[in-house]
Amino acid sequence: MSMATTVTKAETLVGRRLRRKEDPRLITGTATYVDDIQMPGMHYAAILRSPHAAARIRSLNVQPALDHPGVAAVFTGADVAGVGPVPCGASLPGLRVPAHSVLARDRVYFVGHPVAVVVATDRYVAADALDLIEVEYQPLPAVANPEKALEPGAPAVHPEWPDNLAFTYHQEGGEPDRAFAEADVVVRQRIISQRLIPTAMETRGVVADYRGAEKSLTIYSSTQIPHLMRSLVAQMLGLAENRLRVITPEVGGGFGSKLNVYAEEALMGFVAMKIGKPVKWIESRRENFQCTIHGRGHVDYYEIAARKDGAVLGLRLKLIQDLGAYHQLLTPAIPTLSVLMMPGLYKFRNVSADILGVFTNCVPTDAYRGAGRPEATHGVERMMDLLAAELRMDPAELRLLNFIGADEFPYATATGLSYDSGNYAEPLKKALDLVDYHRLREQQQQAKASGRLVGIGISTYGEICAFGPSPATPAGGWESATVKIEPSGAVTVMTGASPHGQGEETTFAQIAADELGVPIEDVIVVHGDTAIVQYGIGTFGSRGTAVGGPAVYYALQDLKAKILKFGELLLESSDVTFSGGVCTCNRTGKTVTLAQIAAASYRAMKLPPNTEPGLVATHFWEPPNFAFPFGAHIVVSEVDPETGQVEIKRYVAVDDCGKIINPLLVDGQVHGGVVQGLGQALFEQAVYDQDGQLVTGELMDYAVPKATMVPWIESDHTTTPSPVNPLGVKGVGEAGTIGCSPAVVNSVVDALGHLGVRHLDMPLTPEKLWKLIQAGGQA
Amino acid sequence: MIPQEFEYSAPTSLEEALHLISDGSAKVLAGGLSLIPLMKLRLAAPGHVVDLGRVPGLSYIREEGGKLHIGAMTTHYQIESSALVHSRCPLLAETAAHIGDVQVRNAGTIGGSVAHADPAADYPAALLALDAQVRLVTASGERTLPIQDFLVDTLTTALEPGELVAEVIVDVDVDGATGFCYQKMAHAASGFAIVGAAVRVRRSNGRVSFSRVGITGLAPKAFRATGVESLLQTPDDVASAAGAVADGIEANSDLAASAEYRCQMARVYTARALRQALARIA
Amino acid sequence: MKVAGEYLLAAAPDRAYDLLQDPEVLARCMPGCDHLARTGPDEYEMRMKMVISSIQGLFAGKVSIADQDRPAGFRLVVEGNGKVGFMRGDGLLTLVPQPGGTEVRYEGEVRVGGMIAGVGQRLLDTTAKMIIKRFFSKLAAQVDGASSSGAGA
Repeated sequence: MSMATTVTKAETLVGRRLRRKEDPRLITGTATYVDDIQMPGMHYAAILRSPHAAARIRSLNVQPALDHPGVAAVFTGADVAGVGPVPCGASLPGLRVPAHSVLARDRVYFVGHPVAVVVATDRYVAADALDLIEVEYQPLPAVANPEKALEPGAPAVHPEWPDNLAFTYHQEGGEPDRAFAEADVVVRQRIISQRLIPTAMETRGVVADYRGAEKSLTIYSSTQIPHLMRSLVAQMLGLAENRLRVITPEVGGGFGSKLNVYAEEALMGFVAMKIGKPVKWIESRRENFQCTIHGRGHVDYYEIAARKDGAVLGLRLKLIQDLGAYHQLLTPAIPTLSVLMMPGLYKFRNVSADILGVFTNCVPTDAYRGAGRPEATHGVERMMDLLAAELRMDPAELRLLNFIGADEFPYATATGLSYDSGNYAEPLKKALDLVDYHRLREQQQQAKASGRLVGIGISTYGEICAFGPSPATPAGGWESATVKIEPSGAVTVMTGASPHGQGEETTFAQIAADELGVPIEDVIVVHGDTAIVQYGIGTFGSRGTAVGGPAVYYALQDLKAKILKFGELLLESSDVTFSGGVCTCNRTGKTVTLAQIAAASYRAMKLPPNTEPGLVATHFWEPPNFAFPFGAHIVVSEVDPETGQVEIKRYVAVDDCGKIINPLLVDGQVHGGVVQGLGQALFEQAVYDQDGQLVTGELMDYAVPKATMVPWIESDHTTTPSPVNPLGVKGVGEAGTIGCSPAVVNSVVDALGHLGVRHLDMPLTPEKLWKLIQAGGQA
Repeated sequence: MIPQEFEYSAPTSLEEALHLISDGSAKVLAGGLSLIPLMKLRLAAPGHVVDLGRVPGLSYIREEGGKLHIGAMTTHYQIESSALVHSRCPLLAETAAHIGDVQVRNAGTIGGSVAHADPAADYPAALLALDAQVRLVTASGERTLPIQDFLVDTLTTALEPGELVAEVIVDVDVDGATGFCYQKMAHAASGFAIVGAAVRVRRSNGRVSFSRVGITGLAPKAFRATGVESLLQTPDDVASAAGAVADGIEANSDLAASAEYRCQMARVYTARALRQALARIA
Repeated sequence: MKVAGEYLLAAAPDRAYDLLQDPEVLARCMPGCDHLARTGPDEYEMRMKMVISSIQGLFAGKVSIADQDRPAGFRLVVEGNGKVGFMRGDGLLTLVPQPGGTEVRYEGEVRVGGMIAGVGQRLLDTTAKMIIKRFFSKLAAQVDGASSSGAGA
């Protein structure tokens, strides 16, 4: 492990393995999370939630709760009629959008559906009073499985739409029918990407504080998108945006689950305005499992068409998306990302996709680390292995044969994207070298000959990230930055990106310190308060550095131009350079420091022509395109033939995320991403039973990977700069998750291939594999 | 944790603790790893919790009269790391090391674990293989029960109202002569045993002269697999003997493992434990 | 969750059949039952206090009997509702004469919801079996002076 380094000005900080500026407060337990916020007069909310997946509310009596000592108020669906619906930001042609009240009205649609909120002087009283509310439910038939929901006669999640279809969506490029007609070989497979529970270590939480005299509301929320939340919650509550302040304190993990506006933010705002006291609600882990969005939830039907030499011709996909009962912020948009990325890194010129967005009596699905791209990558990478098996080709060779060439960028895909830059063979070749692939195959043959079930799995992924050009996003795809140099020369960077664990307090400080030639200690990065930071979009979709970074960079360029003007003024020269934190007159060699320039700019005794006092610059940067990182992951696994347990013997990840600002943080992102990918591949599955009960309702039943369950991850990189931004960066937050699951599954299928196993659905639980081994590969 | 309101007592002597629980209405808090999660979910809502944390003299490991006596409040980590347990009863140390994770092992206690009688807890398998006894005390007296009589059913023991687990007493193995092993397939989420097999074996003249096999996770309560023990006549009998471990057993079934799979894993893990135990005999 | 098993009662089928439908007997045998009253033909309301280790659950519910085919068998539906969740058991009881008594075979499905479904999966199966076992062993004790044997399977 590298040591943290104190850096002198002359060195470049970008590219260095620097420890995070964020870490001291996090590892000493002094960071402030929502639940750490205390206020005089604070009240506490607890939410009554439906135990039924579908039921009519016959009667609701809150009086016993109201009578309970310490209870200040109880609100039900009827009380919040004036609060606007929980917002869906995605739009698709013909999309059916169910009315989504912050509290249930006369019917509940999933287990955990909020029914009433109790507000009390402490959280114990609030919880006690919940138990006193009398609700009479009339249970209704529920459907929790998206394929069952599509069957004729299935219970209707929303009675007004008996087919349970929220939308259908078709996209195609090229001539898929012809490609399939002309193909030598067509391979088909049904592939499931199971529902996952994001399980951020910090559950959600909201504190709302209303100052009646000022008519202003402050909401503290553990969110990835403070500014978007402000706009949307202001709308729900009928407030002007400048009367609502959203503060995002420390966020203990989001992974997309906090890229949302939930009922609780507006609900707590409503409560605070009603009772005139600050109110806090902290989600329990059980609520987190039941009521915070889930991820994935696909049943995919793939078909791949190819020539017998292995050249791929066409790809077809029927994608059944389990939406849950409602649309959260981006729910219906997520599967469209799968369609965009379905060709992966390959030259599929003919593609066709149909999405069926299906309502179920479950909590909504939405963005979870990778959001649509892990599903797409899993699909195409499984299909490439199935094709390789069909053609008896080596899976690495088949991939190398079909990659888009390094000389073909920008590359227009059949799904309408323009891949920015790439050299797809390079990370695969590097990964193959790292594992000594040919020798590894020989060792595998020897192991198999002695009865061991050893497999090698390859996944090569591409992802769309750095969201994105504004026309292609629901809420603006730009990002903002303000850089302020104080009169002392201290530097403050304000980013609209609201990082929450990605480390941009460090990476943006690296960029600023390099550009301004100041020590990194002189730079602080501020985010997550709409009253301080200019409007911004947020951190999701691997966009924090790739879109927020260039905004910082360009704000710095504006500022440098101004610094130069002051330097020219102070040095009384027009031949001045700004470098290393000083302006130097190239003729006389005289210098003036940034601190002197800053002081002079605020003192403003003299100003350069057409120049305002002060050193502040704001830049809103609109990216011209997405960025497309890529990479190759190789997994060696061994299955215990007696138990079906999978052991990952080796994990090699070679990722290309463009230029790297801080390799330590990139490795951390890859490691964390891979671990979440392993979770999907091997352990995790949100299980709803036939009645719509979430039976994996706590961490005792839902298996997230623990440190002892994770293999050593060998992480390496290739570097193909992105041409779409001046930093050449691409984004890496989701790469590990996207690359991981197909590599694991491909390795296990490879381990069992000689038994006739050609496909396995996740998670690869021991019993599932044991049964296959017992049956000689026949499922 | 937002439990229902409860009265909390932290007695500072065993007498005081026994007095506080004498009417049977209080719940006893040892390590808290079973009770606290239930209270957090409000599945358990005791009116009175008696915390043994400050009662002196309940945490010890000592050898007396050819037995190892382990106080009820001894943590899993203390057992796992005790030189005495390692030398005199290594099976128990090995079993303790399989429980949960480090945090769990530093908080959880052997008395709390056996009193909760989770059907997938690790200790009961080892205690059955060690012919353990559980000493129970009340305000007015005490009794000692063999572990198999103490464990009654799922989450159900022979503890009477007002009674407390005081200590667990296990057989001492003469150094090296007894092979031992605990093998466990852990649930990926909870860490509890899908199945766990704890075994002790001795050899004499090429034959297996002594064997004890305790199985957890497979049935509503941990049990001693006497069928396996009697079939294990020689080291060559491991496969066939282990094959009998689930005979006549009403196997548990849940999301993690069907009854069929559990039975087979019990056979596999019993065989593995027996092989390793035999290999460990000096 | 499917449940199935059999239990041997030391009583002739006619007597066993009557015992299994006698509200007073049922009240005594259903674990934790502290109230059972007839509300209609073959319908009873009941209240149960389940205590398993530290776990306590109060359930209010009803028991109904259908498809009576005396003494061969009947269908039993038990529903309960409480703060910790709700359950519905629906099963067929078949009475088979045996030397020395009657074998009561049960086969049915138990569905649970709420908290116990969400957090109780690991122990649901063993707990259900234990409750059934307790019921039958109490029932066996009701059979005058006779002994019982057997277990659920």
